[in-house]
Amino acid sequence: MDTVSVENEVIMADDGIVKPVAGGRATIDRDNRETVGDVTAKNPRMRCREVSVFYGEKQAIHDVSLDVGSNEVIALIGPSGCGKSTFLRCLNRMNDTIDGCRVIGDISLDGDSIFDTKMDVVQLRAQVGMVFQKPNPFPKSIFENVAYGPRIHGLTRDKTELEAVVHTSLDRAGLLDEVKDRLGEPGTGLSGGQQQRLCIARAIAVNPEVILMDEPCSALDPIATARIEELIDELREQYAIAIVTHSMQQAARVSQRTAYFHLGDLIEIGETNQVFTNPHHQLTEDYITGRFG
Amino acid sequence: MQTSVLILVLVALTVVGFYLGRSRSVAVAGGTAGSAQLHSLPSYYGYLTAIWCGVPALIVLGFWMAFQDNIITHFVTADLPAETAADPGQLGLALNDVKNLVRGNITSRATDPAMVAAADHYRQLQTISRLALTVVILALAIGGIALSWKRIGPALRARNQVEAVVMVFLILCSTIAIFTTLGIVLSVLFESIRFFRIVPVTEFIFGLEWSPQMAIRADQVGSTGAFGAVPLFAGTLLISGIAMLVAVPIGLMSALYLSEYASRGFRSAAKPVLEILAGVPTVVYGFFAALVVAPQVRGLGEAIGLSVSSESALAAGLVMGIMIIPFVSSLSDDVINAVPQAMRDGSYAMGATRSETIGRVIFPAALPGIVGGVLLAVSRAIGETMIVVMAAGLSSNLTANPLEAVTTVTVQIVTLLVGDQEFDSPKTLAAFALGLVLFVVTLTLNVIALHVVRKYREQYE
Amino acid sequence: MSNGTITGAGNPGRTIDTVRAGLDRRYRAERRFRIYGLSAIVLGLLFVSILFITIIGNGYPAFQQTYVKLDIDFDPESLGIGDQRSNAALSGANYQALVRNALKVRFPDVTGRSDRRALNSLISSGASYQLRDAVLDDPTIIGTRRSVWVPADDDVDQLVKGHMDRAAAEGDRRLKDNQLAWLDQLQADGAIEKRFNTTFFTAGDSREPELAGIRGALMGSVFTLIVTLALSFPIGVATAVYLEEFAPRNRWTDLIEVNINNLAAVPSIVFGLLGLAVFINFFGLPRSAPLVGGLVLTLMTLPTIIIASRAALKSVPPSIRDAALGVGASRVQAVTHHILPLAMPGMLTGAIIGMAQALGESAPLLMIGMVAFIVDVPGGFTDPSTVLPVQIYLWADSPERGFVERTSAAIMVLLGFLIVMNALAVLLRKRFERRW
Repeated sequence: MDTVSVENEVIMADDGIVKPVAGGRATIDRDNRETVGDVTAKNPRMRCREVSVFYGEKQAIHDVSLDVGSNEVIALIGPSGCGKSTFLRCLNRMNDTIDGCRVIGDISLDGDSIFDTKMDVVQLRAQVGMVFQKPNPFPKSIFENVAYGPRIHGLTRDKTELEAVVHTSLDRAGLLDEVKDRLGEPGTGLSGGQQQRLCIARAIAVNPEVILMDEPCSALDPIATARIEELIDELREQYAIAIVTHSMQQAARVSQRTAYFHLGDLIEIGETNQVFTNPHHQLTEDYITGRFG
Repeated sequence: MQTSVLILVLVALTVVGFYLGRSRSVAVAGGTAGSAQLHSLPSYYGYLTAIWCGVPALIVLGFWMAFQDNIITHFVTADLPAETAADPGQLGLALNDVKNLVRGNITSRATDPAMVAAADHYRQLQTISRLALTVVILALAIGGIALSWKRIGPALRARNQVEAVVMVFLILCSTIAIFTTLGIVLSVLFESIRFFRIVPVTEFIFGLEWSPQMAIRADQVGSTGAFGAVPLFAGTLLISGIAMLVAVPIGLMSALYLSEYASRGFRSAAKPVLEILAGVPTVVYGFFAALVVAPQVRGLGEAIGLSVSSESALAAGLVMGIMIIPFVSSLSDDVINAVPQAMRDGSYAMGATRSETIGRVIFPAALPGIVGGVLLAVSRAIGETMIVVMAAGLSSNLTANPLEAVTTVTVQIVTLLVGDQEFDSPKTLAAFALGLVLFVVTLTLNVIALHVVRKYREQYE
Repeated sequence: MSNGTITGAGNPGRTIDTVRAGLDRRYRAERRFRIYGLSAIVLGLLFVSILFITIIGNGYPAFQQTYVKLDIDFDPESLGIGDQRSNAALSGANYQALVRNALKVRFPDVTGRSDRRALNSLISSGASYQLRDAVLDDPTIIGTRRSVWVPADDDVDQLVKGHMDRAAAEGDRRLKDNQLAWLDQLQADGAIEKRFNTTFFTAGDSREPELAGIRGALMGSVFTLIVTLALSFPIGVATAVYLEEFAPRNRWTDLIEVNINNLAAVPSIVFGLLGLAVFINFFGLPRSAPLVGGLVLTLMTLPTIIIASRAALKSVPPSIRDAALGVGASRVQAVTHHILPLAMPGMLTGAIIGMAQALGESAPLLMIGMVAFIVDVPGGFTDPSTVLPVQIYLWADSPERGFVERTSAAIMVLLGFLIVMNALAVLLRKRFERRW
């Protein structure tokens, strides 16, 4: 993970991993490629090693390794189609629902492989929650939306306990004040930003350990986005968070570590500050400086 | 001239008109080279001439054929003895005999001089009418060609005129749907109103007894006729209810399984096979119900000590349910597939199993659409005819026991109208009153269902 | 304590434990649900197979018919024609007597009136028609003696096909002991044979199962469908073209659309009422005629064809129309030259499906009198006739075992046509399917 090659500045011996091409762009040699930067986290919650994803014959992710650590936000950035969402969906095995999708490699949660037979997908998803690009509240009341997880998993014993869970979750998602008088109204009636916070409340109601967020603000306006970002920052105190984002500013604002994906490869990973201010890889630099993406 | 020959001649004239018009336009423009001066392409002049030749003649022909019989009958009625003409029942019989005489069939009244005279008159009028029709049609066709021939010139906007005619044709065709609905409403409504003059509406809708055999003559003993339709409504609901009990769970569960569990291969194999059930004619189901299911149900019932009628509501309902399965499943399938993938993802990401996702998210989300589909299915079950005609009973029976024979609205319409009928007896008119009820109920169900389904689709678009 | 669950800060293990504890129960529920779904499908598939197995199992014997070999003596005296050889005399001759004589010769020891009658009843009444046709065909056979295979009565037919229980008490059997004995003799002589049942495809309806055929009903269906297709296809396409290409969006076109959608779901029997009240009672068109049947079915299939045609027109991309208009074509020209040809396969598919629907329909035709017992094969659009599904309905009502068999066979023919039509529609769709 330390073999690194950049067109101009050579950190380690160049063995043809990255080839300079006309115009200063770099391409990747798939046969012999390693990620720039340190993939490990201080307090790893999830560890991914050599993860590849195939859709039928087509390989969408190539041998990606990275850690998701507790009490930190890791941002996955990269141009469209770089596989960052696909990778995120591996972490709670959401790719299982897609026909013809195959994941190989090793992903573990707290040391247990998530592909292990004794690790159940239901249990995994209860521990690794997910928030989607487009807010997707169920066509039920606000209360029922948040109560969904505790209900299916049987986490609460009675109604008062359930109500307490719903209230706390809404509170933590910063939504309680806005909706506490209309918990019976349909969740689909809320504004976009409120819907997304409802989805976050829904995810944290089952008390997960990791929260995956797939471009959670891409459908929202700037004010709603700011609220969600604030919320992510607060949630970091308790959960390990991985966020896919299209916006570099957002990655810079909310994350502690950043991973840059390009065409299914993890190109560079490191402290957010370092990646944004001093990228080591030419592709990362090109992306961050806006040459493409 | 025979009508069919006349039509053939007319078609031939139209074709001739096309070529005449086209060559005329080329000639007017001074040969093929000059046809650029024409407003439209030469063939449009041909079409225009053909339209002028064929369309007016066809319209006249249509009206003539539609009203010729009525007009001739009207004239002939004047010949009949006054006392016959005064009584509508007698008149109908007499006219029928006259028509039979005209066709050369021997009737009991062949010797009655008045009848023979009337028949002769009828035949004579028919000949005149046919002759006149031939003359009028040929004159119109040839006149049309001549008129168009004279009008053809470089300035004639033939294409625009042809297109205007095409548009009129398109608009006329598109109004047929409205006229069909109107025709249905008027035909059942008029007869029903006549029926309700004889039998009060309240008796029809709330009466508990149905025995439509009426005494034809005043001195006939026996049935006086009772037209309380409640037993029919109850029977219809009973059989439709059984059908729904079969079709809704099976149809819905197979749709859910196919869309949420089945692999693509299984789905593409099982779906068409299930849809075969939708393509089987209803008469086949009727035969199946009467031949296989009814005896089986009966045998099964007797084996456990129940007395089952050989035309039990259960057998008819079961088979009708089988018929409706693919209907329910394909409607539900559409509706379930319209539930956005994001809903499923949201639920799976929470750690829900498939059945939890289906039961708690997909089904509630799809419920309005499913309800709409079920309403359509109910409407179809209520209007289904052949299965019940072949497998359900004829005599009315007000019961909720599915093992007994019941009769339905459609069965009664068929029994009242098949076979010899007099058009004014309440028995015949009752069929139309039942038809009115059937139409109103199914229409209401359809309108509600289509509305619900449309609203549902809009929600996810 | 609930706070612990919610915040998770102090006690992350608890959620997992609870989830893990519930897993078994939840997976059992999952399996149960899955089995319900699968059994629903299996049940559906089972119904399809039972339906087909019953129909085919009952129907295939009808394609064979039992024939009996008789030595017929074409004796002019028995025929009662003496020296006359005119066609009229030959047509009116007593061919029944030939059959009776042949049986008398074959079974000389059968005397007594009732025994004779029982013996004669083994041969179908159709035998005399067959002999008449043979004689009319070739009058020189009069005076000769030759072996002729004549159709057996339907009871004999059922016995030979094994549908009659010989062990049953004599009173419960349609054939008595003495008849069985005669048949066994004939069988032993090789004078009983099953042959392909051509009558079934060449004859009209009959009261005798062994003489009944589907030709009349089939021709009735053909005439009816010709009327239906000739009217519904142009009208349906015209309506679809108008609504899709020309109609302004206003109340009027909305009304048309609502009407079309509703007509698609109106019970078919209501169309029968319309046909009875309007075409027969108002316009005075003949009852039982394919013309009226075709008109009624036209109204019924129009919505199907319109909806399919509109879908076909919608699938033609607007760029094609724009291109045509761009080079100066009028709107009508753009439609007739470019859009219609591209949409035609889809429209034809819709028309075929509509025709398949019309072919299987029977309820509205009962209303307009196409349910009469008609022996003659119809020759035109106004001849009284019936159609295949109605023929099935009529035969299904007959108690004879021979008719059960023929009903199923007629259903097989009907389903065969429907399968061919639907396969054609699928093929057409596959062949011309375009992705834009």
